[in-house]
Amino acid sequence: MSVASLPLDAHGEVDQLYIETRELRLQGFLLFLISDCVLFSSFIFAYLYLRNSGQGWPPPGIHRLDVPFAAWNSVVLFGSGATMHYALENFKHGHFMRYIWFLLATIVLGAGFLGGQGYEYTHLIYGEHVTWAGSGIFGASFFTLTGMHGFHVFVGVCYLSTLVLQSAAGVYTRGKFFGITAGTLYWHFVDVIWVVLFSIFYLI
Amino acid sequence: MTAEAVHPGGIADHIHPEPQGFVRRYVFSLDHKIIGIQYLITAFVFFMLAGLLAEAIRTQLLNPAGGFVASDTYNEIYSVHGSTMVWLVIIPMLTGGFGNLIFPVQIGARDVAFPWLNMLSFWIFPVAGLMLFSSFLMGAPTAGWMEYPPVSLQGAPGTSMWCAAIFLVGVSSTITGINFVVTILKMRAPGMTFTRMPLFCWGQFATAPLLMIATTALAAALAALFIERQFGVPFYDPTKGGSPVMWQHMFWFYSHPAVYIMILPAFGIISEVLPTFARKPIFGYKLIAFSSMAIALLGFMVWAHHMFTSGLAPFLQLPFMILTYVIGVPTGIKIFSWTATLFGGKIHYTTAMLFAIGFIGLFTIGGITGIFLAAIPFDLHVHGTYFIVGHLHYVLVGGSLMGIFAGMYYWFPKMSGRLLNEKLGHWHFWLFFIGFNATFLPMHWLGMLGMPREVATYDPQFTFWNRFESVASYLMTFSILIFFVNILWSIRNGKRSGPNPWGARTLEWQIPSPPNYYNFKHVPTVYGLPYDFAQPLPYQGLEDELTDSPPPVAAGTH
Repeated sequence: MSVASLPLDAHGEVDQLYIETRELRLQGFLLFLISDCVLFSSFIFAYLYLRNSGQGWPPPGIHRLDVPFAAWNSVVLFGSGATMHYALENFKHGHFMRYIWFLLATIVLGAGFLGGQGYEYTHLIYGEHVTWAGSGIFGASFFTLTGMHGFHVFVGVCYLSTLVLQSAAGVYTRGKFFGITAGTLYWHFVDVIWVVLFSIFYLI
Repeated sequence: MTAEAVHPGGIADHIHPEPQGFVRRYVFSLDHKIIGIQYLITAFVFFMLAGLLAEAIRTQLLNPAGGFVASDTYNEIYSVHGSTMVWLVIIPMLTGGFGNLIFPVQIGARDVAFPWLNMLSFWIFPVAGLMLFSSFLMGAPTAGWMEYPPVSLQGAPGTSMWCAAIFLVGVSSTITGINFVVTILKMRAPGMTFTRMPLFCWGQFATAPLLMIATTALAAALAALFIERQFGVPFYDPTKGGSPVMWQHMFWFYSHPAVYIMILPAFGIISEVLPTFARKPIFGYKLIAFSSMAIALLGFMVWAHHMFTSGLAPFLQLPFMILTYVIGVPTGIKIFSWTATLFGGKIHYTTAMLFAIGFIGLFTIGGITGIFLAAIPFDLHVHGTYFIVGHLHYVLVGGSLMGIFAGMYYWFPKMSGRLLNEKLGHWHFWLFFIGFNATFLPMHWLGMLGMPREVATYDPQFTFWNRFESVASYLMTFSILIFFVNILWSIRNGKRSGPNPWGARTLEWQIPSPPNYYNFKHVPTVYGLPYDFAQPLPYQGLEDELTDSPPPVAAGTH
């Protein structure tokens, strides 16, 4: 990191403690994401294992999932990844209002994805009578994995909403914005997990 | 922080004000040393409880027909004994306990990277332990520490409590793992390069990634078991399309690395104790360090060797057998290096050293029976017998627990400022060593003859050796009582140790015992490996540590 880009504290001096603790927190957060990724991987392993141990997929009596709807829903989530990226970039370049708008757009898109997932769940449960506990390994793996992902999106939406409030209160400055970086990393992580889940549940 | 220099105003300069009051200082402490001691005390309490369960098992096996407890109770007892020893005793002692206590000082840091998370991680652990033991109130798990479905699906309600408890311990381990990785990567003192790090730190550095990766894999398996038991969502029940073998895959994908979580830090302890008391540089420093990393990596590739009888396709069994043999190579390198360290050394037979030497012998036996078990035909013969019980206790008791005892005798002066009594220590070692071998060695031939594990009764032809084992196990328990008496006595009346009673050379011995909350007055600079006994100490900046000079100034009030 060049000296010119070092953040300044209130007295205009280089804040060494902040630089070093931010490095620690960044690394710790990345490691947390890795272990979270292992959690997803284990459930994905379980799903693929069960899927390949039965007689064909989807199991007899269950329709294929609605791919076009989920695809549009995915576009909403990936769009939120893009807006999150621009939110962080705008913050870094000092465009505070644009940052807030992009952040709000991310929250709306994330909530939209959750709404879409809720619609899909309702359709499956009440329309096709596919349930978590009552539809064998299909219901078990589908609702557990997508539910876990949905919970991650929900946590992300809550976190980003907190970011909006904190930013409005002036918690983050040009030099100190690790909370926003962490939120962005988390949001991209949740996006990437969805790429995998979409592929293995809807495409193959 | 770079390794070259301390930046003024950075973490190395950042000292929190001294904690005030009993609660801040000893209960909700942020100090890694206090948290380490909290871990050790809590884990030793669980160790006593699980030890009593072990004696209940041995008492039941005094007679072929049992009769001490009912068969169901027996199943509960050995299940909780195993779970407790693995998750509430050995793992927390070696990682949260000795890890917290020693390695931040050894790398020249003032604390771990995230002290608050460290405190959180500790406080999850006793809660989870109480949850596990509370399962006795509602019918404890009965399927052993592995809790294989479908038996665990039909187990008493306490099995769900077991899932939740182990899940929570896992969360605690994951947090500790993340904390330790970041601490070692980022908080080393200037000059403390990776190849100058003491081997105990290498042990922790190899273990911490296992803690944060393997444990989350187990969390998924436990969550699925919990969901299936509570909500009837099928994952493992074969009648609903689930697969019990899948649990075995997920469980062993965690639990084989967990075996290394339980032994790599003990390797680290041994690698500190041996050179100190042989007064010789450790032989093959880099080999010991890198073989730990190799073991940690290979540990993820061998899980299915626990499942040779579970119907795995033969073409899948072979690679697991071969990879398991491969793990024998780095382990053998370690044993060789330790033996070579002893060779020609000026050996001081302190209690810590006795336990370290005992470790080498007993762990080698456990390791070699492990190589037996990796061979598929042999494994098919002894799977599910007492041979396995003998093998795993040689590794976990003869290995990990002996390492823990070595560490206790070695570092107790650093924790308390007083030495443990050496005479009681020798009694502890010899009674434990004899009792341990007499308890677990006969299990090997009982297993070869076909005595099944985890059964409350047995064929009368095995009576003699079972009684022999039970009596020997009482001797072992008695020796552990001596150890507890020693600790309780020495903490008040032990000889004062001074900063460095052993003449050891790692950083923790260069500061007062017990260390101050800020560890170092000035963060030292490191110039070399700590093991070269012929040379002056490779540190600079420690001149004030043992003088009356004022403590460093605390930064801020937060």
